[in-house]
Amino acid sequence: MRIRRLLPGLAALCLGAVLARSLASSVGVNHLLVAIALGAIVANVADVPDDLEPGIATHKLWLSAGIVLMGASISVGTVLEVGGRVFLVVIAVASVTLVVVELLARNVFGLAERLGSLLAAGASICGVSAVVAVAGTVRAREAQVAYAAATVLLFDAITIAVYPIVGDLLDLSSTVFGVWAGVSMFSTGPVVAVGFAHSEVAGQWATMTKLSRNALIGVVVLAYASYYARTGDGDTPSVRTLWAEFPKFVVGFLALAALSSLGLFSAAQQTSIEHAYNWLFLLAFVGLGTEIQLGDLRQTGLVPAFVVLLSLLVASTLSLLLLLVLF
Amino acid sequence: MSTDRSSQTGVVSSWWSTLDRDWKSVVIGAMIVGLVSVLDLQIPW
Repeated sequence: MRIRRLLPGLAALCLGAVLARSLASSVGVNHLLVAIALGAIVANVADVPDDLEPGIATHKLWLSAGIVLMGASISVGTVLEVGGRVFLVVIAVASVTLVVVELLARNVFGLAERLGSLLAAGASICGVSAVVAVAGTVRAREAQVAYAAATVLLFDAITIAVYPIVGDLLDLSSTVFGVWAGVSMFSTGPVVAVGFAHSEVAGQWATMTKLSRNALIGVVVLAYASYYARTGDGDTPSVRTLWAEFPKFVVGFLALAALSSLGLFSAAQQTSIEHAYNWLFLLAFVGLGTEIQLGDLRQTGLVPAFVVLLSLLVASTLSLLLLLVLF
Repeated sequence: MSTDRSSQTGVVSSWWSTLDRDWKSVVIGAMIVGLVSVLDLQIPW
C-alpha cells in the first residue's frame, strides 16, 4: 500500500522537526531556519536514502496544509485595511520583475527566448512552480526547465540567508519585512520561513503577500500561452487555464480566515491551530532543506544567474522603497 | 464485515489519490480544525 512507502520519509521529517525544535531553543536561532539547515546538511553530507524519498517528497503538502491553517490566525480587519495597497505593490513588483528579466535575457544577454520566459516567470511569480507551469504551455526543453529551476533554487538558498540579516540591519517593522519578503523572494517555502523567523506578524504578512502573488500565475501562464501560440510554438490558451493554475489551497486559507473572523474558534482552539501549523511548517522545512543540493546549484549557468540577480536587486530595492513610503 | 471495511478503505484511498495536492492540503487542514474544534484536541508546542 502507498502509505507504507511514505512512512520512513514521514518518520524522518517528524524526527527532523522535533530535533529542529529542540536545537533552536538551545542555539537561539529560529526553529524554521534550523529545520531548513538540518535538511540541507543531511542531503549534502549523506545522500537521502531511496526509502526516505517518497515520504520526504510530501513536504510541499505540509507547507500548503500549514498555510490553510494559518487562515485561522489572520485578522480580516487588518487585511481589508492594508490589503489593497499590498496587492497593488504585488502587481507592480511582479510586472516590473517579469519585464526586467525578459528584457535582460533577450536584449542584453542573448539567452534563448524560452529560457528567458521561464526565468521571468520563476522570478516574478512563484519560483519553481511557475517555471514548471509556464514550461508546460510554452513547450520549453527539459534542459531549459532544469536550468531555470536550478537558478531559482540557487536564489532561494541565498535569500533565506540574506533577507533576515538585511531585515535586522535596517530594523524593518514586521509588516514591511513580511510584505517585502512576500513580494520579492521567489518560492513560497523560503518566504514563509524568513517571515516567521522575523516575527509571527511578519510571517503572516509574508505568507498572505506571497499567496496573492502566486494567484497571478494563471494570468502569467495565459499570457505566455497566448504569446507562444501566436508564434505557432505553444499550446492554445483557454480561460480554464486561470483556474487550472490557481493555487487551490488559498480557498481553504480564505474559508478558515472567514470562519475565524466570525468568532467560531475559542482562544485555546486558535492556539492549538497555531501550534498545528507551526509543526506542519517544521515538517515542510526539513523536507525543503533536503532540496538544497549544493552540487545541483553549481550547475546553474552564470549568465541566467546574473540575469536573475539583477532583477532580484531591482525588485527588492524598488519594493522596499515603495513599502517604506506606504507603511 | 472485514470485506466492507476494506472496500470502504479502497474507496477513500482511490478518492484521495484523485485529489491534487492543493485539495489534499485543504482536507488535511479541515481535519485538523475538526479535531481541534469538535473534539477539543489540544496540540502542544
